[in-house]
Amino acid sequence: MTAFIELRGVSKTFGQVTVVEGLNLEVRKGEFLSLLGPSGSGKTTILMMLAGFEGATSGDILLDGEKIDHLPPYRRGMGVVFQNYALFPHMSVAENVAFPLEMRGVPKSETRPRVKAALDRVQLGHLADRRPDQLSGGQQQRVALTRALVYEPKVILMDEPLGALDKKLREEMQLEIRELHRRLGLTIIFVTHDQSEALTMSDRIAIFDAGKIAQIGTAGEVYDHPHNRFVAEFIGETNLLDGVVKGPAAVELTNGATIVAPDHGYAAGSRVSVSIRPERLRLDGNGDNRLQATISDVVYQGDHLRLHLDAGALSLVARLERGAAERRTGESVTVSFAAADCSVFAA
Amino acid sequence: MNAVSARQRGRAALLIAPLVIFLGVFFLWPLWLMVDVSIRNDAIGGAFPRTAELIGSWDGEAMPDAEIQAALVEDLRETPQSTLGAAVRTLNSQVSGFRTLMGRTANAARDLEDGQTLDLVEVDDRWAEPRFWQAIQTSVAPYTDRNLLAALDLERSDTGEIERMAASASANRLIIWRTFAIAGSVTVLCALIGLPYAMLAASVTGWKRNALLLAVLLPLWTSLLVRTAAWFILLQNEGIINKTLIGLGWIDGPLPLIFNRLGVVIAMTHVLLPFMVLPIFSVVSAIPKNLMPAAASLGARPLRAFWRVLLPLSMPGLLAGSLLVFMVAIGYYITPALVGGPNDQMISSVIAFYALQTANWGMAGALGILLLAVTTVLYLVYGRLSRGGAPTGA
Amino acid sequence: MLRVAQALFGVAAALFLILPIVAILPLAFTSSIFLNYPIPGYSLRWFQELGEIAHWRNSIVNSLIIGSGATVLSVVLGTLAALGLRGRGIPFPNLLRTVFLLPMVVPAVVLGVGLQISLAQIGLASSYLGVIFSHAVLCVPFVIVSVSTALQGINPTVERAAASLGASPTRVFRRVTMPLAMPGIVTGAVFAFATSLDEVVLTLFVAGPNQRTLARQMFSSIRENISPAVAAAALLLIVGTLLLALLAAYTRRRTAKVVEA
Repeated sequence: MTAFIELRGVSKTFGQVTVVEGLNLEVRKGEFLSLLGPSGSGKTTILMMLAGFEGATSGDILLDGEKIDHLPPYRRGMGVVFQNYALFPHMSVAENVAFPLEMRGVPKSETRPRVKAALDRVQLGHLADRRPDQLSGGQQQRVALTRALVYEPKVILMDEPLGALDKKLREEMQLEIRELHRRLGLTIIFVTHDQSEALTMSDRIAIFDAGKIAQIGTAGEVYDHPHNRFVAEFIGETNLLDGVVKGPAAVELTNGATIVAPDHGYAAGSRVSVSIRPERLRLDGNGDNRLQATISDVVYQGDHLRLHLDAGALSLVARLERGAAERRTGESVTVSFAAADCSVFAA
Repeated sequence: MNAVSARQRGRAALLIAPLVIFLGVFFLWPLWLMVDVSIRNDAIGGAFPRTAELIGSWDGEAMPDAEIQAALVEDLRETPQSTLGAAVRTLNSQVSGFRTLMGRTANAARDLEDGQTLDLVEVDDRWAEPRFWQAIQTSVAPYTDRNLLAALDLERSDTGEIERMAASASANRLIIWRTFAIAGSVTVLCALIGLPYAMLAASVTGWKRNALLLAVLLPLWTSLLVRTAAWFILLQNEGIINKTLIGLGWIDGPLPLIFNRLGVVIAMTHVLLPFMVLPIFSVVSAIPKNLMPAAASLGARPLRAFWRVLLPLSMPGLLAGSLLVFMVAIGYYITPALVGGPNDQMISSVIAFYALQTANWGMAGALGILLLAVTTVLYLVYGRLSRGGAPTGA
Repeated sequence: MLRVAQALFGVAAALFLILPIVAILPLAFTSSIFLNYPIPGYSLRWFQELGEIAHWRNSIVNSLIIGSGATVLSVVLGTLAALGLRGRGIPFPNLLRTVFLLPMVVPAVVLGVGLQISLAQIGLASSYLGVIFSHAVLCVPFVIVSVSTALQGINPTVERAAASLGASPTRVFRRVTMPLAMPGIVTGAVFAFATSLDEVVLTLFVAGPNQRTLARQMFSSIRENISPAVAAAALLLIVGTLLLALLAAYTRRRTAKVVEA
């Protein structure tokens, strides 16, 4: 794999505070990479360093094999889509889109058809003469995207671009951006704090915790096999079962039961956590592991049921498809799950 | 629910009424009186009440009819000598010859016995000339534009056409021009300092921003008189500025900084700078912080980004600030009076001179109308601008 | 490089704004008869002069009388009007508001000429009442602005809540509206007093020799024979304004605490 964008040992400190610490990251050409994490985890700072608005305190940033640390933002040629769009309020939609072409000295005669074509592509041709504040949120978002794409940059950086839209519009735009990514073969780095957005859109997701990458991988990898407690809890919902390692693939849980887990490499006696997703818990008795539990609550959630379970010292949540047998609070059940569905990491 | 009960309405009106009455008596009425005094024309109309009533219908060419002539004779008989004297002097200043003409006619009128009529042309054949009658006709009108015209160095000729006064007669145009020139230079200076200052204050945060804003607000809270006195102290020949410069050996003798244009412009710039900084600051600090990075990411160098994005977006503030500074500056009195020389007095000084020294309220009022009119127009533009800048504001 | 230039410019401009005001203050304590640096020695003789020489002492007393009168008058009229403007059902509220703010815009000399003529016609020329009325005209806009701002900040649901809890309209006004508007009224009063204290132009036109205010007295002494007494008077004005501003800030904070509690 040849890296198109590469960060080598990049750190960033503001005064006493370290926001990004010794970061190594490689992005392939044409890849859609999401930077996901809670606010303050350093993901926006990384984007700003890529765009050139912040300098790295140490480390190198490379684009296509060449260092770009010394380049000011206006010479990096990356398309940036900002939070709240950053459209110029004193310019019309067309002028906004023409701005990067104007800055690159593209002749007026060429600018006009390019702007028109770009706006037509996102169905905004008829709004070319409007001011940004006369557009809806979704339309503003499309203008911001068009403005960042019109000069065909090598990389598109997006900073929470959909954060200000309502849920329905957000989902529409997610598909639209994915479609653009595929059609134009763009390299996109996408910052978000919304895990479902990251899961929907990305080729790979880098999950950030306090300035470091907690895990990087495809949506399936980070969801099904979280490497640590942070990722397990941050992405989706999970049951975390604390226990002590008894053998190569055996963990004794705090309620006394011993379960089989995938080979994890921890020495016997280590304290670990076992993560198992609620939808992987079953009540039909199939699976490598069994726990006796009592149903403490049944919550109806439309397409599925959530069961709250007490298994001795452990509390579990299970997610069951509807249509299974009727369950009642107080009922005793056997909870089972496959060893392969467990992830084990240090407590 | 838009219905407002009559009681609510009555209560609101009752709350507002005292201020409406107060401002009516002590603000609007005085302004009206000032307008009135500058256009009212009592001196001559008061001396010739009967003539004034009739002469309006005269066609201005042929000899006025007997009725008008009789009214004039009656006025000359009845009006007290002192009132008549003042009116005749004014008439004489417009058309020379009136003094002897009126004197002779008045004597003849007084000698007249009841029931007799006087043939005016027989008393003095100048009555056959329409120009004397025309002068009376225009002078007895209840209102005159004489003062207003004089405020612009204009006057009416004998034939009633508007023409320029002799260059030596008045200097109002010069002073109006000077007022605009001083206010204009102060506005430009304030903009040159205020625009970067406000942008700087908007670009920094924390204590730096607070310090920069405090430096603007502190003078605003300080008495205007104190600030002018301070400049008086700094700028005088033995003042700190001159002493420092001499001490540094940069100059040999004191620079003339006070009682001249330079001093007035420096002191007024200092006094009015906050009015420039604050509107610009409020506009610039409301500009979204990500627009300049956006421009840079789209390929704009810092100077171009400033020119294409930050400056156009700051324009409403700059415009509002400039209007405000200019509007306040043209009405300035204290600062030019204290740190200016005789050649730096602005229109307000001339108004004060007419009203306080010579009791010529007609001229004071006429120049006042001029100043008021310019200020009002600027204020209306300013109001429209600041509304346009904040379309969501009620 | 750009950073340095920016910092230098900022400091220079801030000094231009502040230094002149600071420069005048030490001169109030000079022992010399010249209003100038260097200061040969320090003394309180000029403050003594303000207290002892009749025209200075009288002018201070006059400023206090006229300032208080104008403040009371403008605060009462302005607050009532601001309350009236808040209610619905006033015809042309924007026009009225504009007219109320107009005295701030009209050049003082123009209003001075008008007031000189009109006060003479109603027999108030060269009288305390005449000066107080004239100053109050200038003070009203400040009261209107600060009281209106305070009233706008009152959440109407608070007043509705009081009514729902059983308070009559009068009691809602006394127990809720007024206390919440108080900081605005105090600020307006401070601005009004400071405006009157600093007023020169109208005073020139409408006051007689017996109503000379401190500002008016300073104006003529700067013009005719400047002495460090002017600096001493300036110090008094600055300290006076500062105390008033502190008072306003204090009331504001106290009210804020009451509201929070």
